[in-house]
Amino acid sequence: MKAFTALTAAELRLLSRDPASLFFMVAFPLMLLVLKRGDGGAVPGYLAMIATIGGMGALPGLLASYRERKVLKRLATTPISPVLLLGAQLVAQVAAGLAGSVLLVVVAIAVFGVRAPGDVLMLAAAFLLCSVMVCALGFMIAAVVRNTRGASLIGMLVMFPMIFLSGAAVPRKALPGSLRQIGDFLPLTPAVKALGDAWSGTAASFPLLILAGIIVVATAAGAALFRWE
Amino acid sequence: MEAIEVTDLRKAYGDTRAVDGVTFTVRAGETFGIVGHNGAGKTTTVECLIGLRRADAGTVRVLGEDPARRRRALAHRLGVQLQDSSLPERIKVGEALRMFGSFYRNAADWRRVMERWGLRPLARKAFGDLSGGQKQRLMLALALVGDPEVVVLDELTTGLDPIARRETWRLIGDLKTAGTTVVLVSHYFDEIEALCDRVAVFAHGRVEATGTTGELIARTGTASLEEAYLALEGADR
Ligand SMILES: Nc1ncnc2c1ncn2[C@@H]1O[C@H](COP(=O)(O)OP(=O)(O)O)[C@@H](O)[C@H]1O
Ligand SMILES: [Mg+2]
Repeated sequence: MKAFTALTAAELRLLSRDPASLFFMVAFPLMLLVLKRGDGGAVPGYLAMIATIGGMGALPGLLASYRERKVLKRLATTPISPVLLLGAQLVAQVAAGLAGSVLLVVVAIAVFGVRAPGDVLMLAAAFLLCSVMVCALGFMIAAVVRNTRGASLIGMLVMFPMIFLSGAAVPRKALPGSLRQIGDFLPLTPAVKALGDAWSGTAASFPLLILAGIIVVATAAGAALFRWE
Repeated sequence: MEAIEVTDLRKAYGDTRAVDGVTFTVRAGETFGIVGHNGAGKTTTVECLIGLRRADAGTVRVLGEDPARRRRALAHRLGVQLQDSSLPERIKVGEALRMFGSFYRNAADWRRVMERWGLRPLARKAFGDLSGGQKQRLMLALALVGDPEVVVLDELTTGLDPIARRETWRLIGDLKTAGTTVVLVSHYFDEIEALCDRVAVFAHGRVEATGTTGELIARTGTASLEEAYLALEGADR
């Protein structure tokens, strides 16, 4: 436990030293909110976007670089299991996303007078599942794509269309029908829906179950394919 | 007592027989050198010792345990410096030492390790901003922060300048005084002569000879360890 806490703290510190992560997980969503003049309807989508930027924009490249630069190998010579590092990485990403999200929600409510979330507990559950899911997808990418550049690139290439087509960055209503249909098959779409429903207080458990299912499948696939070196 | 016993170790990567029947023992408290050409199987042997790789055949015992099966238990008593490994670019020296210290049951005080290895002035420097020699020194300090009984160092001083190399020798001398068992893979004969009680000469996945520097010189009828090595390796070609 002591080792896990130390690893997680170290990963969080490293994230906080990464200007790109800080910008995209904290400043960027706030800027979008200001541009949208505090449109409350956009906020749940932005929460999904913050999580996705961490889990798919940053995580795959990070894990691949730890593998390529033999950081994982060095850890494997210590008494801790390298799996612990993946766990610490997950907790750090979720925590960073949560920090950016809480800030966004507070600003939306306090500055722009957005109506507070209807079901805070469900919102928290949806955010947690959404974060873990995008991290599981990021892990899967790092398992399939072996080098750092490739893993970063694929992470971005999957992330950008996904945040646009799932309704995270722009409302799905604004999309042409064919694009909306593609969105129906993206794993982030149920996450955006779950977050939106929880915010408006009409949360259903079905989207959460879908997210849990995706987490299980992506983690299993990632674990089967991941190579430590 | 033997700290390490390797018997007829074999390991292949596809068609490459990297280690092809290696046998040697290292006594407790001994500093044991491994020399050999590039690709001789030194690193592969070392990685079997520390449980990173599973042998195809043969037995490996470190402190009486099989590293392939008891890697994690053994890791508490083992300090390792890999031939090539690194840390996250932005982690600071002090943070890395504290974090690695938290992994071990009987860790040394990380601040004292930092002090001892002259890393104190670098405590707030990021790994990515260190020079090659400073990185090596940190990796060595990390190998020792768990207060290990056996230390395995793979090409510790390769790429260091002569002053940094001498400095490292002094620190390894301290380990020896403290009774720590050390396995040192090196390309530098002066280093082996200065530090090691015994040496194994590796060639093409086998141990060509094992003995003290004096024994190897006598056996080959040469004048120095380097000449003895060349004679032994040459005989193999
Ligand atoms: N991971 C690996 N995959 C395939 N071949 C390898 C791997 N590691 C080492 N080898 C090969 O095994 C042989 C021994 O390598 P190594 O143990 O690294 O030798 P040394 O450390 O003495 O230079 C070399 O021919 C090397 O190319
Ligand atoms: Mg080597």
